[in-house]
Amino acid sequence: MGDLLSGFAAALTPENLLWALVGVTIGTAVGVLPGIGPALTVALLLPVTFRLEPAAALIMFAGIYYGGMYGGSTTSILLNTPGESASVATALEGNKMARSGRGAAALATAALGSFVAGTIGTVALSVAAPVVADVAVHFGPPEYVALMAVAFVTVSALLGPNLLKGAASLVIGATIGLVGIDTQTGQARLAFGLPSLFDGIDVVIVVVALFALGETFAHLLAGTGDSRVMPLRGAQLLSREDFRRSWPAWLRGTALGFPIGSLPAGGAEVPTFLSYSLEKRLSKHREQFGHGAIEGVAGPEAANNAAAAGVLVPLLTIGLPTSATAAVILTAFQSYGLQPGPQLFSESGELVWTLIASLYLGNVLLLVLNLPLVRVWVRLLTIPAYGIYAGVLVFACLGAFAAGGTIADLLVLTVLGLVGLLMRQAGVPVAPAVVGLILAPLAEQQLRRALALSEGDWFTLVSSPLTVALWIIVLLALIAPPILEVRRRRLIRTREATSLKH
Amino acid sequence: MTDLEEGPLPRETPEVAHAEARASGLLGLLMVVAAVVVLVDAARLRSSDEVLGPAAAPTLAGVLLGLLGGSLVVRSRHFLRTPASSGNRRHWRLAALVVTLIAFALLLPILGYVVCAAGLFTVAALLLGASHPARVVAYGWTLAVVVFLVFDVLIGLSLPTGPWGF
Repeated sequence: MGDLLSGFAAALTPENLLWALVGVTIGTAVGVLPGIGPALTVALLLPVTFRLEPAAALIMFAGIYYGGMYGGSTTSILLNTPGESASVATALEGNKMARSGRGAAALATAALGSFVAGTIGTVALSVAAPVVADVAVHFGPPEYVALMAVAFVTVSALLGPNLLKGAASLVIGATIGLVGIDTQTGQARLAFGLPSLFDGIDVVIVVVALFALGETFAHLLAGTGDSRVMPLRGAQLLSREDFRRSWPAWLRGTALGFPIGSLPAGGAEVPTFLSYSLEKRLSKHREQFGHGAIEGVAGPEAANNAAAAGVLVPLLTIGLPTSATAAVILTAFQSYGLQPGPQLFSESGELVWTLIASLYLGNVLLLVLNLPLVRVWVRLLTIPAYGIYAGVLVFACLGAFAAGGTIADLLVLTVLGLVGLLMRQAGVPVAPAVVGLILAPLAEQQLRRALALSEGDWFTLVSSPLTVALWIIVLLALIAPPILEVRRRRLIRTREATSLKH
Repeated sequence: MTDLEEGPLPRETPEVAHAEARASGLLGLLMVVAAVVVLVDAARLRSSDEVLGPAAAPTLAGVLLGLLGGSLVVRSRHFLRTPASSGNRRHWRLAALVVTLIAFALLLPILGYVVCAAGLFTVAALLLGASHPARVVAYGWTLAVVVFLVFDVLIGLSLPTGPWGF
């Protein structure tokens, strides 16, 4: 706890507070734009933080991250265009509420729910992370290989509409991740003699290309369909009744979100759907589900934010990103000179606790900023689509140039943008590609290290009880999706059935 | 089991499903081609004295690319035979945007950031259906200048400049 307090002391200088405020503001402003989810928001705004000193960069980054998350929920509720799969569940009831003129209440319960979940999640993170790090210190390469195998199968199975498309995305990302010089032998792989590819392709460039350019290209092909923003009426406050119905949902969502998010496996959006169906089952107003039940916004939104805090546990302590956003965060940390892993807390403890304190502050600032300013953000939604996407393109090129610094990076960006478009058109999710991009080189490195240590004995991979258990999970994850698929379809069917009534 | 009815977004029309199947077939073909490239590239790597050399991971990636790409092609083969129905003009617009992006990359060191970014914004907005060219040009210049001031002057991320210093 003392560490956390000193983290607060470092984060609570007037200058750092200003950076946090700037971060929350621009994070929300970008995150609120339609089609831009938290991963892309963070990737697009990363260059802003590059030139700051590490503590200031981290605190601004935390602000951008939370701002992006909140902005995404605003768009989901008012426009029904969730920027990532984790806000799909929020949009289900949230947009219905906005349509029936209760958008203000939906946004308020989302903001307060995010705050409650974020607060509990951050506290849980500061308790859980050091404990997990203590355990993870004893992990050897075989444990890492098994953990990454779990992440691989769960990411492709859970993030995608089906296993084949999820796996395709993962492998596309992994292949991009292999580009560059092999660290063990110094040979260039998949670089085709181009010097600019020797260092590999920067994660920011891939994220921006797949998400931002893919989205812009798709928009160009589809033609501009104007989306209707639901007007906000009434005060940004919850009535007593709304509050009474919201708070248990916030807590239940948090209780689902944090533990599931902190598993070293993909699927941060799973708790949002679980929370949705739990709220539906428990509600005394079941007939309102499908017409804008406030519990259906409060629960998933809290689950989403708690899971986002949970995802930081494997990321910080094991160095294992399990969502596209986490993959971008990992890159951000590396650019600030932090190497996530079990040693992080002992080696750069001061910065980590500053980060955790910053996350907390970002959360508070968000609440202070958003309840009064929500009308300003809603205004941003009225910018015509051509302006948004042309602007996104300018920022995408800026981000790619800032990350790589050469003309070749911009060409790579364009080519990968076309790949992103094709994936989008084919219904192949792009998030697993980002996870694969980060995890594949790490997994290769750990596997080679494990085999070097065991002098070629493959049984080293199942040499401890933990590794055996993890490989069993891998097998189960490959068998389970067909069962989950049935449940998913049932949910989609109920969703379609309810939307038909309008 | 088909791959046409999943996903969080509801399918609007059969044409949408058709387009999706065509696109996944195309993506599958691309993956098979990429698989060949990856495998050829892996084969020319010198092996080391490690148990798993530098070629192991690319070989695995290549094989998986080929298998998954192949399955995507097989699943959508019916749709690949029928030609695309419409959308030629839109494809031209996409091509124009791609050319603009390449031009942006190549002209950046010559003309500087502000001119290139303003040009990129203007062309992209017009392709995306903006209706007032003069207004779009003004927006483009404003955005480019603001970005330059914030990132180059304020933050110190040095952006390329043209002969006129911005």
